[in-house]
Amino acid sequence: MRFSVILRYVGAVMLIVAAFMAISAVISAVSHDTGFYPLLLSSLLTLVLGGFPLLFVPRTDNITTKEGFVIVVGSWVLSCVVGMFPYLIWGGEFTIVNAWFESVSGFTTTGASILTNIEALPQGLLFWRSATCWIGGAGVVMFALLILPSLGTNKMALSGIELSSLAKDNYRYRTQMIVRILLVVYVGLTLITTLLLKVSGMRWFDAVNHAMSACATGGFSTKNASVGYFNSPLIEAILVVAMFLSSVHFGLIYSTFTRRGNNLFRSEVVRTYVCIIVVATLFVAASLFFTDIYTSPLESLRQSLFQVVSLITTTGFATADTNLWTPFAIVVLIIVSIICGCAGSTAGGVKVDRALLYGKVLKARLRGQQHPNAIIRVRLDGILQEDRHLQAVTLFITTYFVLILAGTLSSTLFGMDLLTAFTSSVAFIGNVGPGFGEAGSYDNYAAIPAVLKLQGTVLMLMGRLEIFGFIQFLFIKMWR
Amino acid sequence: MKGIGKRVTIGFLSIVALLSVSGMISLFELSNLSYDTDSILSASHRDMEVAKDMLRSAHDHSRATLDVAIFGEAEGREACRKAIAEIDLHIASVREGAPTALQGCLDTLSLYSAELNRLTEQYGAAEGMVMTSDSLQVAKRQMSGKEWYNGVYEKACDKFGEQVKRYITLSHGQMAPRAAQLSKNAYRSVAPVLISLLVMIALVLMLYYFVYIFGVAPAKRINKALSDTLAYKVPYKVKAELIDEFKELSDNIEMLTNISKSNKKEEENAI
Repeated sequence: MRFSVILRYVGAVMLIVAAFMAISAVISAVSHDTGFYPLLLSSLLTLVLGGFPLLFVPRTDNITTKEGFVIVVGSWVLSCVVGMFPYLIWGGEFTIVNAWFESVSGFTTTGASILTNIEALPQGLLFWRSATCWIGGAGVVMFALLILPSLGTNKMALSGIELSSLAKDNYRYRTQMIVRILLVVYVGLTLITTLLLKVSGMRWFDAVNHAMSACATGGFSTKNASVGYFNSPLIEAILVVAMFLSSVHFGLIYSTFTRRGNNLFRSEVVRTYVCIIVVATLFVAASLFFTDIYTSPLESLRQSLFQVVSLITTTGFATADTNLWTPFAIVVLIIVSIICGCAGSTAGGVKVDRALLYGKVLKARLRGQQHPNAIIRVRLDGILQEDRHLQAVTLFITTYFVLILAGTLSSTLFGMDLLTAFTSSVAFIGNVGPGFGEAGSYDNYAAIPAVLKLQGTVLMLMGRLEIFGFIQFLFIKMWR
Repeated sequence: MKGIGKRVTIGFLSIVALLSVSGMISLFELSNLSYDTDSILSASHRDMEVAKDMLRSAHDHSRATLDVAIFGEAEGREACRKAIAEIDLHIASVREGAPTALQGCLDTLSLYSAELNRLTEQYGAAEGMVMTSDSLQVAKRQMSGKEWYNGVYEKACDKFGEQVKRYITLSHGQMAPRAAQLSKNAYRSVAPVLISLLVMIALVLMLYYFVYIFGVAPAKRINKALSDTLAYKVPYKVKAELIDEFKELSDNIEMLTNISKSNKKEEENAI
């Protein structure tokens, strides 16, 4: 493995991060707040750190898959490290652990925060928080691919790691197209959401931040009360649509708009995803209405829809304190925050594709027991799924739950109550953000012990890098 | 960019530039910190001094009032007015720039000072400074003056004293958030240097790595290839991809060996 080549591409990603820091510094300068110097210095530090390898290492036309893999994971981890600079320099509530937590939470689009008073943050830093979500959402490396024409044929090796294998196998787009689609859909969706939010009554600053956060399925808000602050059904409706679209395969959105055969309405995965949302919303709404938490059925439906979409898309915006909801509603919300959105989107979690395949494997197994000689094949969106693929899905889901259990176990070891421990582990690994109990939708992670914050960041990174990507990175053999 | 020399120079310059920027920001933060520390200390010192002066003036006023009330000294009234004027001056000196929470306390102090002034003026006007040698008259005036002093004046004076104490407590209470801000500023002045230092370490390590793989290693490879050519007469060939000056150097050496070979052949042919 050529370490210098890896450094060059990771450096290129750092330049993009530095550019976003510089934009945040400009926002701070315009609003005359205290975030200017921290953001400016961080931007300069990141610029030099990223520019150094580009200065020395010559352009390389081909990189190996292993190198591509290390570039992806390395970029992600290093982005998280430099992402904590503005927080650390600014001070306030940001200790080293808190700054690392906030940065990882942003770049992995988790949206969990340690801030007890978000509104006390200068505007530049608020923008930087949302920007980390947005960069993370696009995929740090995907972003670099568009900016860097020097990559050429290297696209395949990098995007192969970035997109989940399911997304690649289901939709056979050319690899060069993936980057373009991702960015056209992502940037387009963010711009449209910003405009709609502005028209619906938000300030430009809030509109941009919420749009970036929603399209990245991150969940960072500029208000302590999250989206609940605006108390506007129109804003909530816009965000519900933005969150939903950001959590379905971007290629499908592109093909729907370009009127291609394989589109949103024909996808089995999307149909299942919509079904899950509708059923969960109706169940939660009924539970809220019949237990008199909300006296109006429309209000129950409004709150239920927003929370279900917010959690299933792994965004984590809040309009209500879900801790006060019924145990049934809470269980439904926990289930949706385990399933999460579709592959090929900015959403994290198990993903509907895997959940659907898992269900089909289960069904095939049951049928196989009834008809021992039958050859039962599993298809998804009409594509025959290979056995090794199905094994990978079941292994992923098993490992996912093992990690949730491990997270819960160690959290309870440090005195956390069971509900908070379990739901925060689910929220971390699924990149959802809020859990329940002490980590509820209107709470934060400020009070949890530092060691659990660090554990949370590991789970977030594992979740974002599809678990095995992260584990593989740690193997020494990988580095040879 | 071409030329290892240029790359290394720019690398070093960028490190120096970054160090300078982080140093300047830290200096800026440190000067802020120093200014804040000075302003907190001077504000605290000023508040203490003003409180002390106010209490001293109140004491002067009390003594002058005692002279007026018990001994009927007419000069005492002037001393009273002078003491009240001093108190008002002290209050006015701290009012400017005082935080909102302290403004209320200063207003109350002004009110109490006015009350003291009103009491002594009223007493003087009502009793009159009757200068008499009649011992019975003197005893009567002393009795009523003592009662007034103990019953009316002393209460108002105590209230004023209490308010001065409250002012000291409040002004110290106002220092807590400023001290917290000070601690935050101290952190802010140190954090950029620490983070810059870490980045510098990373940059220096990277610089070492790049200088080694693009400078030292090619030089070793060229040397090895040249040594092999000279020792074993094998064709000159460097087993590495070379860039910049090292590629030029290697090409020149190759040309030189080729020229030397052709010269040798020409010599052999001539013989």
